[in-house]
Amino acid sequence: MRMEQTGKVKKDFIVCKDVMEEFPKADEGMFRVAENLNFTVKENEFLVLFGPGQCGKTSILNMIAGFDLPTSGSITVDGQEVKGPGAERGMVFQTTCLFPWLTVMGNVEYGPKVRGVGKKERRKKAQHYIDLVGLQGFENHFPVKISGGMKQRVGIARAYCNEPVVMLMDEPFGHLDAQTRYLMQEDLMKIWEREKRTVIFVTNNIEEALYLADRILVLTNCPTKVKAEYKIDLPRPRDYTDPDFLKLRKEISEVVDHTL
Amino acid sequence: MQTKTPAQERRDKIVFGTLAVFLFLVIWYLVTKLTAFGEIFPDPVTVLANIGDKFVNPLGKVTLAGHILVSIRRVMAAFVVAAAGGIVLGVTMGWYPVVEAIFKPIIEFLRPIPPIAWIPISILWYGFSEMSKYFLIFLASFFVITISVYSGVKSVDPMLIRAARMLGAKDNQLFTTIIIPSVVPYIFSGLQVALGNSWASIVAAEMVQSNMGVGWIIITGQQSSNMVQIVTGIVCIAVVGMLLVMIMRGLENKLCAWNKQGR
Ligand SMILES: Nc1ncnc2c1ncn2[C@@H]1O[C@H](COP(=O)(O)OP(=O)(O)OP(=O)(O)O)[C@@H](O)[C@H]1O
Ligand SMILES: [Mg+2]
Repeated sequence: MRMEQTGKVKKDFIVCKDVMEEFPKADEGMFRVAENLNFTVKENEFLVLFGPGQCGKTSILNMIAGFDLPTSGSITVDGQEVKGPGAERGMVFQTTCLFPWLTVMGNVEYGPKVRGVGKKERRKKAQHYIDLVGLQGFENHFPVKISGGMKQRVGIARAYCNEPVVMLMDEPFGHLDAQTRYLMQEDLMKIWEREKRTVIFVTNNIEEALYLADRILVLTNCPTKVKAEYKIDLPRPRDYTDPDFLKLRKEISEVVDHTL
Repeated sequence: MQTKTPAQERRDKIVFGTLAVFLFLVIWYLVTKLTAFGEIFPDPVTVLANIGDKFVNPLGKVTLAGHILVSIRRVMAAFVVAAAGGIVLGVTMGWYPVVEAIFKPIIEFLRPIPPIAWIPISILWYGFSEMSKYFLIFLASFFVITISVYSGVKSVDPMLIRAARMLGAKDNQLFTTIIIPSVVPYIFSGLQVALGNSWASIVAAEMVQSNMGVGWIIITGQQSSNMVQIVTGIVCIAVVGMLLVMIMRGLENKLCAWNKQGR
């Protein structure tokens, strides 16, 4: 839909081509996490990777982030092959990974700080993102003092504040209670509409996937690959009780593998 | 049960702590007054009176405060050098595999030797000079601090390193913004243990050879069969040791607030 609105076909921004990844097993031999993994992501697209637990979702994001490299195949972002981590690819971790010795402000401004942005400018920018995720008033709190939902908000603000071109989000709401989760999904949509980015969002919650995605890729169990693809054209903000929403929910639920 | 505010908890601790010390003194007093134990051990009133007296009238060359200061100065001079050296070596060992390969076996070998086992060597090398005391304190603290800092570098959360790299940190920035802050709590736990070790060792060293210091008070007490003086020395060692640890803890609470609050 959005493609037609802008009047031109958007280019493939991220390309995963024939990606295969193996880890050495504890005893011997290799464990294959991904195989024949092929997909592309368009610029400013909100792509959701939806798959069962332990299927290799984090491993895929780790390769795009550059923490691990594919055993074979290639991943390119904006035409450049991924060779290691870089500030243009931001990540929101499944386990938050905030710096415990820094305050909320210190965490959010960390990226601009190490990249040499002056204090005044980075403070202003960090404050903008702290406000955006609704944490004003908590700037000087240490991570141990704030709730799980707030930590995830800090993680999101920290990634956004570095202004990456790609946002990788690894089940950021996975550990939250249902109510907080809905709230965070709504807020994330608002942020994304304001500050368009190419987002790859990982989840194993079908409602979350349908609420957020431009497109959903359903992944198989290990070694993981793309099993099915759904373009979601429902208008935003989406309604969990809308008949089309429910229909898609049922359809996709039937496709996904179940965790062993 | 009703939950208590931190302020109430702190107050309870002080109240109960004071009561316990007072009770201990009362029992000590009663046991020495009512049993035969009093014939071989002084009662607390006599000891406290002696402590008060010796703060005014000299014991040997200087007053009690003078002896305590001499011992503390000896500990501090060597402790600061050992701390600086231990932190630097611990961090480089944890960060550079080559340094680790060279120094780790040596340190693992020397570390289990109790500091007082070095006393004879220190006397043969440095005689009865201040240097012999510094040498001992250095050994009592250096290895402990080095190993603690080293294990701190080794246990830096790799996910935090990932997060920092993802945000654009270069190698030298990783070191200053991730490794060093992660290691601070380990530095403090090393310093605390090392300071306790050092204090214990200086007393031992002074008991073997010196003409001043808290260890000297005890050993001259023994030589003149003066039990009151021995117990006076012991009480000083305990109180000063406790204060040193409390100061270190206070410093740690200040600098590692982010860590302490989580516990
Ligand atoms: N570094 C590694 N070494 C060995 N095996 C690994 C490594 N990383 C991941 N694996 C294995 O690969 C599989 C997929 O892991 P991954 O974390 O990518 O899955 P996931 O879909 O993100 O799981 P979850 O739903 O729990 O988040 C798991 O079985 C895991 O044990
Ligand atoms: Mg995962």
